Amino acid sequence: MFRIALKGVLARKARLFLTSIAVVLGTAFLSGTYIFSDTLTTTFDQLFADIYKNTDGYVRSSKVIDAGFGQEERQLIPISTIDLVRKIPGVSGAAGNIQAFARIIGKDGKPLGKDGIGPPTFGSSISNYKGELWKISKGVLPTKPDELAMDDVNAKKAKFQVGDSVKVVAAGGSRMFKLVGIARHGDVRSPGGATFALFDINTASEFLVKSGFIDSVLLQSDGTLSDEELAVKITAALPTDLDIETLTGAQITQETQDGVGQRLSFFATLLSVFSFIALGVGCFVIYNVFSITAAQRQRENALFRAIGASKRQITQAMLIEAIAVGIIGSVTGLFAGVLLAQGLSGVLRVTGIDLPPGSLVFAQHTVVTVLIVGMVVTVISAIMPALRAGKVPPLAAMRSTALDTAGSIRRRVMIAAAFAASGFVVLLAVIRGADNVLLGIAILLVFIAVLIAGPAVARPVSLFIGRPAARLRGITGAMARQNAARNPKRTSRTAAPVLIGVALVMAVTVLASTIRAEITDIFSKQFTGDFTINADDRFFGGFNPSLADDINALPGVQRASGFGVSIANVSLSGKSKSKFVTVIDPQTIDGIFDIGLIAISPKALTKEGIFISQKAADKNSLILGSTIAVELSDGSEHDLIVQGIYVRDQLVGGYTVSRQLFEGTVVSRFDAAIFVLKKDGVKDSDIRTSLTGVINKYGTGKLLSKSEYIKKQASQVNQLLGLIYGLLFLSVIIAIVGIIITLLLSVHERQREIGLMRAVGMTKSQVRTTVRWESVITSLLGAVMGILLGLGLGWVVIFSLRDQGIKRFTVPTTGTFVILILSFIIGVIAAAYPAHRATKVDLLAALAMT
Amino acid sequence: MNSPLVNTTVAAATSHAVKQYGSGDGAIYALNDISVDFISGQFTAIMGPSGSGKSTLMHCIAGLDQLTSGSTLIDGVDLSTLNDKELTLMRRERIGFIFQAFNLVPTLSAEENIRLPLLLGNKSGDPEWIKKVIDTVGLGNRLAHRPSELSGGQQQRVAVARALATQPRIIFADEPTGNVDSTTGTEILTFMRRAVDELGQTIVMVTHDPVSAAFADRIIFLADGKIVDEMLEPTATKVLDRMKSLGS
Ligand SMILES: Nc1ncnc2c1ncn2[C@@H]1O[C@H](COP(=O)(O)OP(=O)(O)OP(=O)(O)O)[C@@H](O)[C@H]1O
Ligand SMILES: [Mg+2]
Repeated sequence: MFRIALKGVLARKARLFLTSIAVVLGTAFLSGTYIFSDTLTTTFDQLFADIYKNTDGYVRSSKVIDAGFGQEERQLIPISTIDLVRKIPGVSGAAGNIQAFARIIGKDGKPLGKDGIGPPTFGSSISNYKGELWKISKGVLPTKPDELAMDDVNAKKAKFQVGDSVKVVAAGGSRMFKLVGIARHGDVRSPGGATFALFDINTASEFLVKSGFIDSVLLQSDGTLSDEELAVKITAALPTDLDIETLTGAQITQETQDGVGQRLSFFATLLSVFSFIALGVGCFVIYNVFSITAAQRQRENALFRAIGASKRQITQAMLIEAIAVGIIGSVTGLFAGVLLAQGLSGVLRVTGIDLPPGSLVFAQHTVVTVLIVGMVVTVISAIMPALRAGKVPPLAAMRSTALDTAGSIRRRVMIAAAFAASGFVVLLAVIRGADNVLLGIAILLVFIAVLIAGPAVARPVSLFIGRPAARLRGITGAMARQNAARNPKRTSRTAAPVLIGVALVMAVTVLASTIRAEITDIFSKQFTGDFTINADDRFFGGFNPSLADDINALPGVQRASGFGVSIANVSLSGKSKSKFVTVIDPQTIDGIFDIGLIAISPKALTKEGIFISQKAADKNSLILGSTIAVELSDGSEHDLIVQGIYVRDQLVGGYTVSRQLFEGTVVSRFDAAIFVLKKDGVKDSDIRTSLTGVINKYGTGKLLSKSEYIKKQASQVNQLLGLIYGLLFLSVIIAIVGIIITLLLSVHERQREIGLMRAVGMTKSQVRTTVRWESVITSLLGAVMGILLGLGLGWVVIFSLRDQGIKRFTVPTTGTFVILILSFIIGVIAAAYPAHRATKVDLLAALAMT
Repeated sequence: MNSPLVNTTVAAATSHAVKQYGSGDGAIYALNDISVDFISGQFTAIMGPSGSGKSTLMHCIAGLDQLTSGSTLIDGVDLSTLNDKELTLMRRERIGFIFQAFNLVPTLSAEENIRLPLLLGNKSGDPEWIKKVIDTVGLGNRLAHRPSELSGGQQQRVAVARALATQPRIIFADEPTGNVDSTTGTEILTFMRRAVDELGQTIVMVTHDPVSAAFADRIIFLADGKIVDEMLEPTATKVLDRMKSLGS
């Protein structure tokens, strides 16, 4: 039987090929994801290993505030530490190190680098320390306060030459420098495409962070001690009140690699979640193809049974075929993943992140996982059809067309109803207050119910959806409609991938449009000024607080108020927790930004005070007048009195302090945004001109009117939405391929019918129309059910976010419409090749078949 | 349609028709220089041993297959001058087909199957004619049923009705009774005979059965791709005798 099965597999190469495609697509994404994330990790690991290649020790502050999400703020150390370290025996050389935000302004007045996504823009220090990674390739080292060097790649890109004047924006404001040198970073010219403005350590300290302070000290050993011994010795030698710690070169390398690895692993997890979704969708296609071919082979299998093959042998033969498909598909998918990984790197390059050259990493675990997952998925998808094939009665063989019967409709509906009902019961429990985690179970139950009910509803729904086709297209449309409905099981299995894809897209769209509406609402309620000036969308960097002061001095401006965020350790109920705190200017915020203070003016906030949200107050039993201990990121400790409680915490969070609190501290503070209220009667265009003037002097910042600003905030959701759509795109491709394969098999199976119709006068274009409409009906069937399911899913997700303050439910009408149109187009595209094949049916051969 | 003038016109014709399969030594001449006319309003039967080229002849005249050389005329039109679309329209409007089996589209009802060529052309046809055809088929209340719900004989009658629906110039039937029992076969042949006598249709039918052939006005005998004999106003006995003498 094994040999016969194998012969059967090889005899039908086309079928083997079609089935394998589904496996290839599913596994390719998985493989591509693995290869890509491994490559990224290896690349970055290599990058940091290079950066700290010459470093034997790393001295930094031991005080750090971790804000979660991989964000931390470490305290600065005095610049004098460099000299202290240098003098310690065993140290052969040391240099101060600073890496902070700085943005170089191009010759055209536009900042280098991209807004939002893309590699970061850095300001850093450079010296003649022998471990220095930056090597001057042209010109000289910057040594004076008005000199800088720049990385080679970006200098070339922006056409800067040694001797040019260059404007740079950083914490210290915006300033002109003389370009004295072009530098290369180790072997690469610029790491990862980031831009670098390089200064001598004193200038870097004053301009990039805070005068007299640096991030850390890099040092080299003279070799008399091991790195570990040296580190211990340095820590011991430095004054304890400096609160410093010393890491070996290996430790700092490892720590940095781990940090990046963590961020990458989030990315990798996201990718693999979507590749598993794609694989799940692929399962349906594989299952469908096996079911169809099993039905088409009924006669052949019945013949085998008649001449003495056992049920088991038939089932085994089918499974052997599945294994062959699994092997071919996963191996091909594995290698197709390489192309996909290259594609992903290409996408990164477009956003400006230039990975250092290096070949893709094809790890052993990729091979093992992809092959095993591919095989398992294929065999699992084939088990049901294989068992069914075995049940074929030896004499029920003389049917002319393959029909996989839909079984008992009533039983199916009942099982589906049972699943749906239990889903709703769980849902109800959650609404009544049970844990949100149960929502996932409810969703799963309803999904299963829909998939089980599929074949039962496929026929009536297809007939309904196909009605316009029949009306529009006459007999061809009517035939397409009947074809879609004639085999409900097949149609619903073909539509299932579309259904899943559409349901996910729909749910995400619902969520996004709800969040957009929510954001618009929040901002229009809270922001009552006329204009905003925004730093670019990065999480670090921003405006020097003096920008707000300068704008306040403009004649047309009634008031301007800066907004910033800082990280601090806040003592709550006896425990110290790191929190983001919002920094406002209490004197100017009134009438510009409303955080919903209860019965008090924002002006009440002093250097010694803090405002907290109602939620934070309730949670920690705080009242007006309570004292909270707050430790800022420079380690300074402050006992702050609760001077106000507010209700609108969606934007500012739980804790808000005055900018005065930072006076006299070493925290480098930026404003992330400045809100402006113009004077009554001043024309918008006039104030725009004067604001633009000030912004240009500082170099960065986007001026937006209130409505532009609100729109921009709301559209930030779109970026995430775009990413998710992109990731779901592969599922859509698999769905399309599923339709193509099914149609090809159907066309093959209906050859005789097509031949007959051609004989009695059906033109080729009518043949194409028939196939096309069948495809469109199938695709729309999936879309309609998917939209309904997606709306439900979206509602459930939004419901689970009710504690986050999202209380509305917005149905995206345009989105729904677009999905329907796209499904229509998908149907047309998927039909193209099968329709072409249908016109190629050989009339005489088709009629000669019996 | 019963006027004597129409009776003398040629509905379809071939001249020096040659159909060759393969080339060189292994070449098979399925049709070897066949010239024949089919007169309007006549019921012609084609007989001959298996492999003699009956089906091939029919397929070539009907535009389902192309000749290697020679020409085919339907209604005065040379089929070799038509492109695929024109050929399709020719089949749809001026030719009717009845095959041995699998004549009907399984997803359409009996009535839709009968109207299929008209529906494909988005035409309603001559309602009186259609009614007459449908009445003659005698399916009564089973018209709305799918083919799978009809007996083999009923299915073949629907096929004949479909061939008649467009009032084609000529109908080709390849062993239309090959798949049914003799009673049903007689029923179908009677029906075809009536289509010729009462409706004035032209029918060309391939058959192996002398009794079936006796329903025709004229019989053409093929052997090895050539016309070897012809008989007018046949009877079953005469046909049987002739077949014996032809040694098949
Ligand atoms: N596609 C083909 N390739 C090669 N030879 C063919 C092909 N089709 C038919 N033939 C040959 O042409 C000859 C005539 O075939 P045809 O089908 O016309 O015979 P027939 O008279 O209809 O026979 P039957 O009574 O068995 O149906 C046969 O010898 C057949 O083998
Ligand atoms: Mg034949």
